[in-house]
Amino acid sequence: MSETNRFEPKIVAYVCNWCTYLGADLAGTTRLEYPPNVRIIRLPCTGRIDFNLIIKGFEIGADAVLVSGCHPGDCHYTAGNYHARRRWILFRELLDTLGFDLRRIHFTWISAAEGKKWQQVITELTEETRQLGPYTDLYTNGTGKDLPMGAPALFETKTLAAEPALRERCRKLLAEGTVKVVIGYGARGPVMVRRPEDADRLVWNNRCVSNLTSYLKRKEVKALGKPAVVVKPCDEKSLVVLEKESQLERKDIHVIGMACEGVGEPKCTFCTARTPRFADETLGEPVGPEALASPPPNRFATLMALTPAERMAFWTKQFDRCVKCYACRQVCPMCYCERCIVDKNRPIAIDPAPSVKGNFAWQIARAFHLVGRCVGCGECSRACPAGIDLALLNIALHKAAQEHFGYDPGVDPAAEPVIGSYTLQDKEDFIR
Amino acid sequence: MSEIISQAGLRALVAEWSGAGKQAAGPVRIKPDLVLYSALGSPDELLLEGFVRPANSIKEFIFPKQERLYGYRIQGNNVELLENDAPPEQVVVAARPCDAAALPILDRVFNWDFQDEFYNRRRAATTVVTLACNRFDESCFCTSVGLNPASERGSDVMLFDLGNSNYEVRCLTEKGSALFSGKTEKSDQTARPGKSPEKKFDPQTVRAFVTEHFEDPFWTEHALTCLGCGACAFTCPTCHCFDIVDAGPAAGNARVRTWDSCQFAMFTAHASGHNPRGAQPSRQRQRILHKFAIYPEKFGEILCTGCGNCTRNCPEGIGVLSVATEIKHG
Repeated sequence: MSETNRFEPKIVAYVCNWCTYLGADLAGTTRLEYPPNVRIIRLPCTGRIDFNLIIKGFEIGADAVLVSGCHPGDCHYTAGNYHARRRWILFRELLDTLGFDLRRIHFTWISAAEGKKWQQVITELTEETRQLGPYTDLYTNGTGKDLPMGAPALFETKTLAAEPALRERCRKLLAEGTVKVVIGYGARGPVMVRRPEDADRLVWNNRCVSNLTSYLKRKEVKALGKPAVVVKPCDEKSLVVLEKESQLERKDIHVIGMACEGVGEPKCTFCTARTPRFADETLGEPVGPEALASPPPNRFATLMALTPAERMAFWTKQFDRCVKCYACRQVCPMCYCERCIVDKNRPIAIDPAPSVKGNFAWQIARAFHLVGRCVGCGECSRACPAGIDLALLNIALHKAAQEHFGYDPGVDPAAEPVIGSYTLQDKEDFIR
Repeated sequence: MSEIISQAGLRALVAEWSGAGKQAAGPVRIKPDLVLYSALGSPDELLLEGFVRPANSIKEFIFPKQERLYGYRIQGNNVELLENDAPPEQVVVAARPCDAAALPILDRVFNWDFQDEFYNRRRAATTVVTLACNRFDESCFCTSVGLNPASERGSDVMLFDLGNSNYEVRCLTEKGSALFSGKTEKSDQTARPGKSPEKKFDPQTVRAFVTEHFEDPFWTEHALTCLGCGACAFTCPTCHCFDIVDAGPAAGNARVRTWDSCQFAMFTAHASGHNPRGAQPSRQRQRILHKFAIYPEKFGEILCTGCGNCTRNCPEGIGVLSVATEIKHG
């Protein structure tokens, strides 16, 4: 290749105002030479560097991205970099699941006195990225393979034993005026029962799949008065997280827990929760999980066994089907923002078109906003009319929070949320 | 006497169309429990039996979920507009009658006060080969809106499954004949009409109710379990609302049209912050009102073909059918 055609990598560096920016400045004023391939974007603190910016960098053609801030202990705002470190640990796992090339995403601590380190890091990054070549694997055309899904579980609607008790209990709650509305399952989908005589509309069978706690955030439902909500042991975890996030007052809600033997969804085949733990009352007898004749393939393990390029091809193909109906967001009990980031249009934060870039950006934002919050109810996958297995992204982050921080959302009400807290011992083997 | 084609013959024909540069699309099994209309990578992907209907609709081949209207290039003070290439010739194979019937309905709104060239060009370049239904499920209600499992409306060719891997072919338009002429055989087999779903409601009743009960507790009651996603509108063959966004450099400098749904809170949000449809009941009402009153008033026919996709795709089991039947019973 001739000297003039040599590939020159473009590197976007998001740096903090107080340390790395000054370090880079020092490199300049002390006449330290480093490759001109880096574009510096100065931000107040690494703790406030939005993960969407990393994605945006790649979208507009960066071949590598660098995020750099103050050394641990040096943060101008005391702890911004500790929060950032924790977020990056988790964000890297999400990007890995999606098949991003992690060799192009770099983190470093560079202080205001380390002009020399800045010079060294940029020189190394430029050379490494030059070796990798242009980032052409990003959002490659969807030629990916699908994951083995197993056959759809065909089943007959089977009424479960606790149904009469549930109806009776709800009739009583409404008649006594303990609650104004029962959010439960009906024959065709969720129902809101408001009169004792309508309690017979409630059903309890193996098609009771929805996570009804999603309704607690809706203002039309709030307007009805104190609700009773029917929850399965898996859905119940969302109540724990919502309470932790001050989205509900537990005393304002009557929780009817159903002992569960698994309803009709694939998720039930690996769920082990059988008995509600925090319900005001529990109906039914829990039944142990039945051994499956042929367990469904572990989709997450299969996905992670692919190479990053194959994973990206897989997701590109999946997201190609996304129509941006936002069913995944609407059914999610944890998605309660009054205005979602995709609805922000002054300026537009995430491409609202169902383009490949727009779909990746949206799903990255959705999954990462749920890190340490998603309880794994699987409603996103179930609701998707395009059959995209969105829960795989949440599983990735759930696993990451468990492995790195021993955190399991919705299990221990006293546990400190994984995002919003940090320890001085958080790993940093990926930080230069 | 009738014209028939074998299943193998039909697949060979699809391959022939693809070979001639046409894009072929039809039902494809995406997952064990999901069939979608998709571009056909090979004729073998075309799924002809064993399912009720795809979970999406054929509108996306004529009114894509995202469509570049034009691109632009900025150099100094000059802005140069970049026109699109002509859309490709395409054939939609094994469309359902409820999908095909949506096209003449959509033609009206896209050619009403303004002729939408983007829609019209794709529509002109598309041939619809419909396969009559021989099964239905509890969400189907074509007979309630004046169609039936063998409706010819909007189709260029009708295929009828004869049950022995042969299809009776009836060409309805010149476009259709051009695809099938000389490819069929004469036969004395003719298709017998299949079973139709029962009539579940009368659109006139719905229209009367929605026009007379604009403010009614029914809407609040009915919308309580609606979560406000756009799965119903985006899989509906007739829903056609769109948004236009300027996609910046990251998306290739283009003005893009994307689907939009009246079920979203943002759909009617004003710049001032006011939202005339501030809550879900008014958005649900709008969808039914548009389909059964506003559209008929303007164009003389209802904006629904009874495919049942809204009900099947709703995560919580709501849809036109549940509203319409509750109106009848309520």
